[in-house]
Amino acid sequence: MGNPLFTILRTGVITQRDLFPALPDDANGLPMVTASPCLGVECGRCAKVCPTKAIGVIDDVVTLDRGRCIGCNACVEICSSGTLERDLSTQTAVATREELLLTNRTKPTTASIPTHLPFRRSMHIREVSTGDNASDLEVVASTNAIFDIARFGIHFVASPRFADALLVTGPVGRAMNEPLRRCYEAMAEPHIVIAVGVSAISGGLHGGGYAEANGVSGLLPVSAYIPGDPPHPWSIIHGILLAMGRLRHA
Amino acid sequence: MNHTNRDFKLVSETPRALAATVHNWLQQPGRRFGYLTARVCDGNTLAIQVLLLDTHTSGGVIITAPLADGEMEYPSVTVGVPVAHWAERAMGDFFGLRALEHPRWKTLILHDGAWPNDLFPLLSNSHGHREPYEFLEVTGEGIHEIPVGPIHAGIIEPGHFRFSCAGEIITNLDIRLGYQHRGIEKRLAELPWQKTRYLAESASTDTAVGNALAHAVAMEQLLGLDLPPRAHALRTVALEFERLANHIGDIGALSGDIGYSAGAALFPPMRGAILALAQLLTGSRRQRYYVKPGGVARDLDDDRRRSIKNELSDIETRLQELIPLVLENSSVIERMEGTGRITRELARDFGFVGPAGRASGSDYDARRHYPHGVYPEHAPKPAMRDTGDVLARAQIRADEIQSSIRIVNELLNNLPSGTICIDCQEKVLAPDGFGIGIVEAWRGELIHWVTTDGTGAISRYAIKDPSFNNWTGLAIAARGNLVTDFPLCNKSFNLSYSGNDL
Repeated sequence: MGNPLFTILRTGVITQRDLFPALPDDANGLPMVTASPCLGVECGRCAKVCPTKAIGVIDDVVTLDRGRCIGCNACVEICSSGTLERDLSTQTAVATREELLLTNRTKPTTASIPTHLPFRRSMHIREVSTGDNASDLEVVASTNAIFDIARFGIHFVASPRFADALLVTGPVGRAMNEPLRRCYEAMAEPHIVIAVGVSAISGGLHGGGYAEANGVSGLLPVSAYIPGDPPHPWSIIHGILLAMGRLRHA
Repeated sequence: MNHTNRDFKLVSETPRALAATVHNWLQQPGRRFGYLTARVCDGNTLAIQVLLLDTHTSGGVIITAPLADGEMEYPSVTVGVPVAHWAERAMGDFFGLRALEHPRWKTLILHDGAWPNDLFPLLSNSHGHREPYEFLEVTGEGIHEIPVGPIHAGIIEPGHFRFSCAGEIITNLDIRLGYQHRGIEKRLAELPWQKTRYLAESASTDTAVGNALAHAVAMEQLLGLDLPPRAHALRTVALEFERLANHIGDIGALSGDIGYSAGAALFPPMRGAILALAQLLTGSRRQRYYVKPGGVARDLDDDRRRSIKNELSDIETRLQELIPLVLENSSVIERMEGTGRITRELARDFGFVGPAGRASGSDYDARRHYPHGVYPEHAPKPAMRDTGDVLARAQIRADEIQSSIRIVNELLNNLPSGTICIDCQEKVLAPDGFGIGIVEAWRGELIHWVTTDGTGAISRYAIKDPSFNNWTGLAIAARGNLVTDFPLCNKSFNLSYSGNDL
């Protein structure tokens, strides 16, 4: 057996210094809507292949709901007009549910910043998982030496009593409704909620059934939405910093 | 290649004689209990179905026991076949069927409070009601209870653990899950088959490839597809990447639960390195929506193949240095050795699978017994131990890390040419048929069992996660151990709550 200290020293600093690097060229990322004119309802194939009804086409306007999108890439592959393309950015979190709706209809493009910003410098987070353990693993990954979320003053804590923010993964079926609510109520004021992953935002693939697994949005007030299935660790950090008011918008 | 459903024989039995038939069938060597559930047949009659596996023939039998109209009770199979105990309770929750003489009869998934007690989701016209859940109460001088969860201290899934303790020693652990029930099985029987793969894969999203592959194998049996060899090879690479990432992560997490910071710091970046390769192969770190009926979603070009190969060789060298830092460290060994022990007999009786079974002397590895991907041709010799403790489960992870790297290398060096997918979107599933996908996911044997009606629509979709077998293993392993060692026992299994709750 070698000496762990030497191994650690030899490893050096592996933390990524560039914040929010884009995904590699051949990664899937999430789809986005470009300015390239859509063929419209005559085509409509994107809406047909979407497994979660995240895409709607009316006339020549296509609307993509990233709050329902699982990132399977089927729409991008079938789109012949280039209207739907892969978005390799990891800066995907937004502050309102409406901003998850992407469309080629002209609309103001400025992203909103949350108005309620009690935790600008540091935040302690209680994570509650409700049925999407891949998102949990990506939240855990954000704490490792590569992403090192602690450098931003962000820490995960063992009890809601210590926490400023509640970070929810998974679609919150009936049986997690009550534990989640009690966890939220146990937190001291002020406190905020962050939804991580498509299941937490809308229920994703699980919504609409007898288990009422429709996400956290309808249950608690959400300050940041992090789309993806699961989101990349950088996207998770992006969403948490957004909820803290630490991001400068162009 | 895939195993085929032709190797599963269909047998009929009465509910009354079911327990004896199952027990007798299992007496031959190489035979295992697969799963037990029910389904609504044509004409709205209810039938209990038992899937039994014969590992020697890569097949088995499906025993169907139709119930008379209004008959909602039958003699429990668990009495002679303990491994069936959770399956019978789950069937009770979803179908309202009661297993008479079941030694621990209570709800498994749908507990009172959260769910109406007359809701039986897989039954069209439900009657009856569920009884309230009662924890097993241990009495005696000085016995006290520690309730933990559903929300735990770490970033993990929810579930309730009720410890009964004498001082610091755990005398009994009652595990109550179900908090993440999302109604997956019912939804899978409502969707057109072409859209089921997304949800089937999400049964436990940390096992996306395992679930997608079990789904694909079952569907390909119902579609009568023979896959091109390149598709089998690429699927297998994805499956082994999933195993590698999780095993490496768990060795780091075990270090964390021991308080060995070096291991906890050094392993997560190695997992990240594997996830980067997984992203090169499939487009995403978690390899989502890559494996699908007919093949895989995208090809691997030669540049990326070479990058993966070179990077994997670096990772292998690095792991050869890192793994001994944990598993040959005397303080680590002292915490793991003898902790959370499961005997070979209990592992056999309760049918533990994957590394947890192999740590207690079981040689069952679905890669050898049920062809999927490039198996059994490239199947590794099963990593085995017989001490059944935390150390054995950790060592098996380490052995499997090595064998998975070897398998991936073999495949990347000799990747078959040709197509990667057969277009089957317009095809119809075989009517009145069934498909059984059995794969060795990173936690062990994972089964997707699909039944179709007379029109070829899915009428029942049952999923048996490896954790469904192994949760009982954790309850047994914890007994007689210090409360302080519970996190270590727990992590040595690292079971899926959502795969169990569905």
